[in-house]
Amino acid sequence: MKPALRFAASLLVVSLLVAGPAWGQARPSGELTIALSSFSTEILDPVLGGHIVKFYLSLIFDYLVGVTPDGQPSKDNGVASRWEASPDHKRWTFHLRKGIRFHNGDALTADDVKFSLLRAMGKRSTTGYAGPLRALVQDIETPAPDRVVIVTKEPTLIIPPYLSRVLSTEGMILSKKYLEAKGDDHFARAPIGSGPYRFVEQVTGSHVKLEAVEGHWRLGTPKFKTVTFRLIPEETTRVAILRRGEADIIEISRDRVKEVERGGFPIFMRKDDSLLQMWWVQPWENTPVKDRRVREALNISIDRKELAATIFGGMADPGAIPFGLSWAFPDVNFKMTADVAYPYDPARAKKLLAEAGYGGGFPIEFYAFQLPGLPEGKAMAEAVAGYWQKIGVQPKLVPVDYGAFRKKWLDQSIPGAVGYYNMANRDWIGTYALIEKMAYTPSKTTTTKDPEIDGMVREVLRQTDREKINTLMRNIFLRLRSEHLGGPLVYLHTPYAASKKITKWNPGSVMYDLNIDELVTAR
Amino acid sequence: MRRFILTRLVQSLVALAILSVVVFALARATGDPLHLILPMVATEEDYANARRYLGLDRPLHLQYVKFVTNAVTGDFGISLRARRPVTDLIKERLPNSLKLAAFSMAVSMLLAFPLGVMAAVRKDTRTDRTAQVIAALGQSLPTFWVGIVLIEVVAGRLQWLPAGGTGSLAHYILPGFTLGWFVVAGMMRLLRSGMLDVLDAEYVKMARVKGVAERWVIWQHALKNALIPVVTFAGIYFAILVTTAIVVETVFAWPGIGRLAYEAITSRDFPVIQAVVLLTAAIVATVNLLVDCLYAFIDPRIRYAS
Repeated sequence: MKPALRFAASLLVVSLLVAGPAWGQARPSGELTIALSSFSTEILDPVLGGHIVKFYLSLIFDYLVGVTPDGQPSKDNGVASRWEASPDHKRWTFHLRKGIRFHNGDALTADDVKFSLLRAMGKRSTTGYAGPLRALVQDIETPAPDRVVIVTKEPTLIIPPYLSRVLSTEGMILSKKYLEAKGDDHFARAPIGSGPYRFVEQVTGSHVKLEAVEGHWRLGTPKFKTVTFRLIPEETTRVAILRRGEADIIEISRDRVKEVERGGFPIFMRKDDSLLQMWWVQPWENTPVKDRRVREALNISIDRKELAATIFGGMADPGAIPFGLSWAFPDVNFKMTADVAYPYDPARAKKLLAEAGYGGGFPIEFYAFQLPGLPEGKAMAEAVAGYWQKIGVQPKLVPVDYGAFRKKWLDQSIPGAVGYYNMANRDWIGTYALIEKMAYTPSKTTTTKDPEIDGMVREVLRQTDREKINTLMRNIFLRLRSEHLGGPLVYLHTPYAASKKITKWNPGSVMYDLNIDELVTAR
Repeated sequence: MRRFILTRLVQSLVALAILSVVVFALARATGDPLHLILPMVATEEDYANARRYLGLDRPLHLQYVKFVTNAVTGDFGISLRARRPVTDLIKERLPNSLKLAAFSMAVSMLLAFPLGVMAAVRKDTRTDRTAQVIAALGQSLPTFWVGIVLIEVVAGRLQWLPAGGTGSLAHYILPGFTLGWFVVAGMMRLLRSGMLDVLDAEYVKMARVKGVAERWVIWQHALKNALIPVVTFAGIYFAILVTTAIVVETVFAWPGIGRLAYEAITSRDFPVIQAVVLLTAAIVATVNLLVDCLYAFIDPRIRYAS
């Protein structure tokens, strides 16, 4: 063999040996396309963009605390591999996983975690839980590059869930060096994180495209080379692109599920995605709903089973506890027994109205609007109005958009009128935060004024004994139910249609998170 | 002529100035954008911080003065929804709308010309009646409905063309046709009536008497003269296509300024609403100005009358 040839052969052998290990590992290939009706704010910054953008940001960024698809904090898929609290529950130490790198190659350290959390709690933050964190956190220490200590003003249990993927976007870890060097504006156009997909392109109003990071610590090497989230507001268009094979997952309304399923496309359901909840706008003092009997009558005159079967095509279950998100029930050991379910009893409803002095009924304004993820909003409002008419109440439907209603609600300019929302399901602490906003007297958005609930709400945060917290939460739920402090309608399940190549996917139930991890995990 | 143009220019600027006040006031009358930006669990402090950061805590007249002074220099502020300069968003979206409108216009012309001419030449025949029906449908069927039917049938069932989004030339066909059908109808009617007038003119009769071939009479002598109002209106139609594509762009997920306007209105994104409305008004005003000037150039009676 000639020397040149021998050299070339050696080079080939060495190259093959070096490249060898990669052969055993599948490279990411192909594209996953997810078409949704709304992207919320389309801001690629977890802190300035708000909480709903989480569904694509959770591929770009890692959370300090990971969660499983069913919402349990996980030490396997968060930046922190373990954490512990001091005996007084005022110092929370998080131990960071070594070897995590941002997409530009920089190592992720405790400084990045501190920077990210301070930014999330900062004044410009529009994340969901910035306020409570700001009020609670006293200091963040970084005793070592792989250790972060969060010091709180009061004893607390809420730090890990608040900074986890189960709630909002506060727990997403950003690169301090990159953000300080490039600034917020550049970051919003070209974000880098440490997640399994790096940002490639955004065209507002059209799509966000991401590309796989090979050998990622959290998901290994992802299955798909690219993941594209397409914004397609019109449902007919989404269904057509699914049929044409241009999308793998599409958001679909409940009333088109059967038709698409007949076409051979699998349907995946997010169970208990949200609670559809009505409330009576404060102040109530001079309105019929101040009377507990009237509130009960309004509740028991609604046939929730029929509502779930007709308006929501069977993709819903009757609701029972005002502001009671079903996801929180197992967390606090609250058992949903048959006696807490609202019966359908129009005869008793009429009797209750008569006892309260409203035998001839009374007028009530019902603000009917569409909400994201709830195309059935107006139909539901009409159906409920129909039930109420049967017991003599005179509902007046007011067609309006949600923003206009929310202004009137917060201004308290429509006393006793009916509003509603599809409240995204979340764990016990998320549910607690929601109750603190919606059913706690000092809150501007409160829909109730109940001293007993106020006392329990105040007590929950002071407690570090989980059993006592559980008891308090269970009692809050029972009080909301027994006083009829709102009108829980149904627990909604949200359908997604998929192309035939998606054979397995659990969209999970974690708030605003579609668990795309499962779709892109090659393992 | 110079005075005529100057008068029209000043009128356009005054109209834009009045519009700036109206759009500023109307956008704010729809409600508080923070109710849509901030989550349900946001605190009072969150509201106050966001309001301060976005400049919404300042008195309205100061906000207006800032908006106008910045707008004059081409700065329309930062989008509340996308947290990016509004001019960047418009630069990203406007070319898409222009390209779609240009495609629509080209298709419309290609369809309207033969249809209009044939309808006039074969007046009161089956061809004429068919063309009239096409025109009536084009102007009466809601654009939204046409788009949905095309998506459902052509893209969804037959799978011949993409249903939405941008990309290849094929992506232009369905939204382009949906958007352009209205224009086809209008153009065709305009051309038909123009042709009927011209075909009755003395010089056309003379050409026929002289033995010029009928095809030559129609396409060379008559069409040329019937085109004047069509070409003038084409400019206005183009402006209408760019500025009213909101429904087509939403249905076909086309990221143009129509969609931008829709997104801005639904999220109360004041800076974007203001910029898009003023931009579209400026486009319409400019085209109208050009058309006025063109008319005045063609017909001196107009410029003197004004």
